[in-house]
Amino acid sequence: MNIERLTTLAISDTGFIFDPSTGDTFNTNDSGIKIIQWLKQGKDFNELMDLMIEQYEVTEEELEADLLDFMQTLKNFHML
Amino acid sequence: MITVAVSGINAVDNPGPGIGIIRSLKESHLNVRTIGLAYDSMEPGIYLDHLVDKSYMMPYPSGDVASFMNRIQHIHSLEKLDVIISTLDAELPVYMDIESKLLQSGINMLIPTKQMFNLRNKNKLQDLSKAINILTPQYLSCSSYEDLVKATQKIGFPCMIKGPFYEAFKANSSGEAQSYFIKLADKWGFPIIAQKFVKGQEYDVVGCGDGNGNSMGLFAIKKMTTTALGKVWNAISINNERLLQTCHRLLEHLSWRGGFEMEVLIEENTDDIYLLEINPRFPAWVYMSAACGINLPERMVCFLLDMDHETHSNYKSGKIMIRHTNEILKDISDFEQISSFGELENNKRPM
Repeated sequence: MNIERLTTLAISDTGFIFDPSTGDTFNTNDSGIKIIQWLKQGKDFNELMDLMIEQYEVTEEELEADLLDFMQTLKNFHML
Repeated sequence: MITVAVSGINAVDNPGPGIGIIRSLKESHLNVRTIGLAYDSMEPGIYLDHLVDKSYMMPYPSGDVASFMNRIQHIHSLEKLDVIISTLDAELPVYMDIESKLLQSGINMLIPTKQMFNLRNKNKLQDLSKAINILTPQYLSCSSYEDLVKATQKIGFPCMIKGPFYEAFKANSSGEAQSYFIKLADKWGFPIIAQKFVKGQEYDVVGCGDGNGNSMGLFAIKKMTTTALGKVWNAISINNERLLQTCHRLLEHLSWRGGFEMEVLIEENTDDIYLLEINPRFPAWVYMSAACGINLPERMVCFLLDMDHETHSNYKSGKIMIRHTNEILKDISDFEQISSFGELENNKRPM
């Protein structure tokens, strides 16, 4: 997983994301902020699953689907 | 005190760069007297007394060069000009012709040579983009409806139909292409450009070259909103190393001399950089770079006058330029001065 671009993002506490290399801006929620921070720390997909399961009341199937969807969104925006 | 004359003070909805340059100079460390060179007595810059100290009407650059030169010499005899910053594409060739004579009179300019000017022409973009290792969208010049049909058959749809100076429309069919072709030719004349549509974001970089391939600083933006003519209205500063490196290659390849604006598009899926245009002068949004710490007009003046100046490109990303409209009130006597006598003094030269 290429997190080089992710490490350059400016993310506010409220989930406002600014990509200084493209000028693009995005909004995410608390869960999204946490996932991005963990990705920036080098966590892989399985580690993200474990961390999220600990913190949220969600089934593994639901979490896996949502996490895959979020990571695909990051890829679509060239963040991963 | 340094006296700098600047053209393009038509701060209208399609603004010339002059007022942005003058504002950059007035907010710099330099003690500058600013002279506006206007082609129309209703150019707003003439009346902006907090920025333009004195304005003079100029003969159109499409007229004879001798009249143009005589007018500058007359202004020089009154103002003792140190520098002229030319900001309009149409007048640059005239200044190229008279630059050496102006220098003999003590007036300094930093403008491209005719060779540099021609190398960045729209019909040379393929060669230029190849030389600096980026792409440019496939395009064909059209001077007739038959040309347009052939061009769109070759390029395919969707494509961009562009005027020779301003305005561009995305055409999804031959019917739309024909409609835009007629509209643009009627408004701006020929040639009309048919260009392959590339989906992506548009970015601009402003810079200044010393004529030896060196940069005096670069500043990049993403266009956030544009006018109907495609001009930047709101923008955000970005730090994109690939764009800046592309500009360095451009400066080295052309040994560019003077201000410039590089317009590019970054393709959405591939991240490829496409060269759209090189404008041979500072853009109208140049004040944004100065406000972010890259004061290129100041650096240009210092370079010309052998004064120390910075060349770095260190600035903060995430600064947003908000362009807005405004009104001022002036007395009819000001209009009389500029329209009847060809000059208007807003602020007297200090004794």
